[in-house]
Amino acid sequence: MNSDFHHLISRRGFLVAAAGVAASASMRPVRASAMAERRIGVAPSQARFTGPDGPHTPVWTYDRTVPGPALRLLQREPIRIVVDNRLDEDTTVHWHGIRLPNAMDGVPGLTQPPIKPGESFVYEFTPPDAGTFWYHPHADSLVQLGRGLAGALIVEETEPVAVDRDLLWLLQDWRLAKDGQIAAGFGNMMDAAMSGRVGNVVTINGTVPVDQSVKAGARVRLRLANASLARIMALRFEGHRPVVVAIDGQPCDPHEPEDGRLVLAPAMRIDIMLDMQGDPGKRYAVIDDFYDGLAYTLTTLAYDEAPPLRAHPLDAPVGLPRNPLPEPDLVRAERQEIVLQGGMMGGGKLAGVGGMMGMAAHGMNGGAAWAINDMSMTGDGHAGMAPQFTLKRGTTCHLTMRNETAWWHPMHIHGFSMSVLSRNGSPVPHRQWQDTVLMAPKDTIECAFVADNPGDWMLHCHVADHQMAGLMTVFRVT
Amino acid sequence: MKPTYAFAAFALAIATPMPALAATINAIMYKNPQCSCCEAYAAYLEQNGFKVDIKSVHNLSQISSDAGVPADLEGCHTLMVDGYVVDGLVPVDIVKKLLTERPAITGITLAGMPTGAPGMGGEKAETWTIYAFTKDGKAPTVYATE
Repeated sequence: MNSDFHHLISRRGFLVAAAGVAASASMRPVRASAMAERRIGVAPSQARFTGPDGPHTPVWTYDRTVPGPALRLLQREPIRIVVDNRLDEDTTVHWHGIRLPNAMDGVPGLTQPPIKPGESFVYEFTPPDAGTFWYHPHADSLVQLGRGLAGALIVEETEPVAVDRDLLWLLQDWRLAKDGQIAAGFGNMMDAAMSGRVGNVVTINGTVPVDQSVKAGARVRLRLANASLARIMALRFEGHRPVVVAIDGQPCDPHEPEDGRLVLAPAMRIDIMLDMQGDPGKRYAVIDDFYDGLAYTLTTLAYDEAPPLRAHPLDAPVGLPRNPLPEPDLVRAERQEIVLQGGMMGGGKLAGVGGMMGMAAHGMNGGAAWAINDMSMTGDGHAGMAPQFTLKRGTTCHLTMRNETAWWHPMHIHGFSMSVLSRNGSPVPHRQWQDTVLMAPKDTIECAFVADNPGDWMLHCHVADHQMAGLMTVFRVT
Repeated sequence: MKPTYAFAAFALAIATPMPALAATINAIMYKNPQCSCCEAYAAYLEQNGFKVDIKSVHNLSQISSDAGVPADLEGCHTLMVDGYVVDGLVPVDIVKKLLTERPAITGITLAGMPTGAPGMGGEKAETWTIYAFTKDGKAPTVYATE
């Protein structure tokens, strides 16, 4: 299973080796003193989602694998990543959730020139935070993500976390046609103005999941990352009590999720601690029941017959060390508000969009279906995008986001993690920090962050169709 | 079904229930799981002599494309009824006209979600054009206006 890093240590170079085995300090490699370097090629290839005998599906890949290689970096250690574009179109790489210099953020036009076909770009940054992050293109986002360009980026804690296994499930959702090819119709107007291009095949680490083999008594750190274009998931682990220890890479107070459901929107990550308290030889379903009437079994935890590793769950605390995030000063905070508008059933807030008046006459493909504060920024980012608001460096921004639409939106902020303060007036517990905040229809969310990193930063919905069709804005830190 | 009856139906407010014409008309509706206006439209059809089997799907755009609905004329759901495709919030009198006249087309569509259409709230603000489409590559034609 390529998600289990225990098996990768001898096979890959420094970065994967640096992953180490979380519970075993003796196996951690000596850190290199020179800047670590990694090279990634972006190119078309083929995938077999249903295993070695399944049909070939043409995909776009990082290093010819879907998902791309799981990059394991070290907290506070600089890294240089050279990206070679061997696609026939421009690309960039966005290091999702990493707090890094603006010029490394991967937004074409806004933070860097796009990487043209045949060209390369050198990304250099030093991840300040340990946790589960990911990388993906920010050019032609809908198509490039939808054709498979995504990979996990894991930043190791400086001190190992006591677990028996460190697993990653990078979840991708594919819309395949009957012949097993990626379906045409990217940018369809109904997808754009409704829930986005939700697919019909979900993969874990690039394959349609079979059983996940587990051992009774083990403590597993499971890193969930949703790299889907649009599919929101709500995972339930039958017979188990997962404890959330980090959201979007940022440790939170350990807690069991409400109703035992882990709600994971596109671009979100959740790290859970899973004590394997099931019975040897038994099987337990992992169910995604986010959409009414469309629940399905994502995969199954299959216990081997061996007796439990230990009689009682591990004593070690499940909490993770906090990252060095600057604490917002809410008393002196500058208040900003963004309002999400448009979409189907949008109530006419956006001329020609809300309520879809005259939609057929305009034609929607490639056009705007959504807006933020009455402005639709469409596409992936480009030069000269006027900032919605400007913050003086060091200011705390108290940001209110209001979803006036009838649809769900995972709102992603570039360059920062936000302390999530309240949802619809109720305080959000567990001291959660997120870079991607899921908003239900009509939700109001308050959050705060210290604007300590200068540059023009994106703030957009991570349902790729929504972003392309106008649910995007930019703010500036001077 | 008499012409006078059809005329009367046309003249009635669209939300007014009509007596069952004859047997119940069975239909299958494919809709986005998160779109509520489609459910309101299904309820409206059921008040008007239809039995609607609602199927929530993620790939509505694929289904409507496979059904021959032109990409720029898609409605918010796709209904399969008595050998025809009815896409979007088409008023029931026009659906019944289709099922009575049985023209040589694949189906009809009311694009988008116009305000005031059955299933939508609000006041009707413009003339709606319901297009007929076929699968033979010909351009859509106007089937009805309302």
